[in-house]
Amino acid sequence: MRDVVIIGVGMTRFGKFLERSLADLGREAVWNTIEDAGIPPKDIQIAYVASSLAYQLTELKGTIGQHVLAAAGFFGIPIINVENACSSGSTALRSACLEVASGNCDVALALGVEKLFCDNTARSAEAMASGTPYAKFGFMFPALYAMNLKKWMTKYGITQRQFAKVAVKNSKNGSLNPNAQFRKPLTIDEVLNSRVIAYPLTLYMCSTMGDGAAAAIVCTRQTARKYTARHPIEVAACELVSGTVTLPDQPHEPLETRAAALAYKKAGIGPEDVNVAEVHDGMAPAELMIYEELGLCQAGESGSMIDEGKTDITGPVPVNPSGGLAAKGHPVAATGLAQVAEIVWQLRGEAGGRQVKNPRVGLTENAGGWVIDDNAACAVTILKK
Amino acid sequence: MAEPNCEPAAQKKRVPVQEGLFYQPLSAEERPYLIGGKCSTCGYVSFPRLLVCPRCVKKGTMEEMHISGKGKIDTFSICNAALPGFKAPSIQAYINLEEGARIWSLVTGVEPSDASLKIGTDVELVIGKLREDAADNEIVSYQFRPIKTDPKGKSR
Repeated sequence: MRDVVIIGVGMTRFGKFLERSLADLGREAVWNTIEDAGIPPKDIQIAYVASSLAYQLTELKGTIGQHVLAAAGFFGIPIINVENACSSGSTALRSACLEVASGNCDVALALGVEKLFCDNTARSAEAMASGTPYAKFGFMFPALYAMNLKKWMTKYGITQRQFAKVAVKNSKNGSLNPNAQFRKPLTIDEVLNSRVIAYPLTLYMCSTMGDGAAAAIVCTRQTARKYTARHPIEVAACELVSGTVTLPDQPHEPLETRAAALAYKKAGIGPEDVNVAEVHDGMAPAELMIYEELGLCQAGESGSMIDEGKTDITGPVPVNPSGGLAAKGHPVAATGLAQVAEIVWQLRGEAGGRQVKNPRVGLTENAGGWVIDDNAACAVTILKK
Repeated sequence: MAEPNCEPAAQKKRVPVQEGLFYQPLSAEERPYLIGGKCSTCGYVSFPRLLVCPRCVKKGTMEEMHISGKGKIDTFSICNAALPGFKAPSIQAYINLEEGARIWSLVTGVEPSDASLKIGTDVELVIGKLREDAADNEIVSYQFRPIKTDPKGKSR
């Protein structure tokens, strides 16, 4: 397999864009990415286009990739549509990387494009719950998170206040990110006093609806040299797993841990080598659980990690410098590629006011959906300078 | 089929949220049950019913199993958010069933407050209303409620 590098990334701002179409958002992200890569658009040989809830919430009920890329000026090349709930974007990136690694082509595009806002909030809410067929029984994702969190809090003495600190950190990071949907820094009291969704979760700990798009262009190291003198970012690993079913007599290994183990092995690194990470904090407290699942700290130590500011932008292992899902926004299928864009900017030293000090290795974790009793999918990507 | 005598004619039609998930009693003498699956090779129990055992991964080992609907609260959450048409707050829970499966369910029959339930509370299956549809039917699903005990401490 050939080495794969990211030559360009780009995104739209995330937010509520009732007046903009899905194709318009996709076009903007694609052309931002092309300009960042500095390549002729006709050199892109294949495209993977991730979209999830837009199939329910926009007028496009099929082949979104072809529709969106037509608006961006692309015709004729193979376009593959990808759906994997919240991990759709990373799944598209993985497939684009495999096209290049296998030698099938030299330049590939991965795009995640999503619209959740429509003129009917109830419809949007129903679509958001549709990552699982259990929504019709009254199943609510926040309550699921809350139940897992309550058990975990009891086990390790982790507090709601520590969860609030995650939201405070990420809102501060988001305030430094011009692409973020929410740019108001929150205080601990504001987070704790916001409406209780399902204890320990409060409103400001939860990600909400968003529109937006993000993209990356990948190619071989040799091809990259043709276009730019800039140091390319290596995709050292981009690993995808699906959830498992819990068997009564067997311990359940979180899928984040399984995906991370594969990615660390492929990249030839360990969690101690990660300098910056973007993780899937659909609810802010999940970020702490993910520190442990990714091995960024030992089991039960994530509470002290946030207390000591270790994952602040200025800390030793900054997590979610972009603001994460709650502050930056979470347009479902765009999220994974926006995480990757953030890590690329961080590794290049282009992250402006939220720049982490000289990172060399970055990681993204992007999980989604729900099947029986586990997430449907999880991708972990490791990028190296 | 005769109309069940427990349902007055004026009562709204009770429509199961999904076919093949549970048995809805037609009279007061009957008990509801969940329609699950059990692997004839390894004993794995699933609800909803899986047609292939995830441990054995062989064809034809999962047999239909009627699950009595007795269990204990494993963990629960009072959820103040709800999808359109559903009631909020709700009690969402994971239940450890006597038969071995751990399943998600709504809990009914008590106030939605943290004081109403404990981890380990004994619960039983009921078929209850989830919401009403556009035709004014009651959409019903499986739910669990705490088992009331009489003064002698015996289950009702």
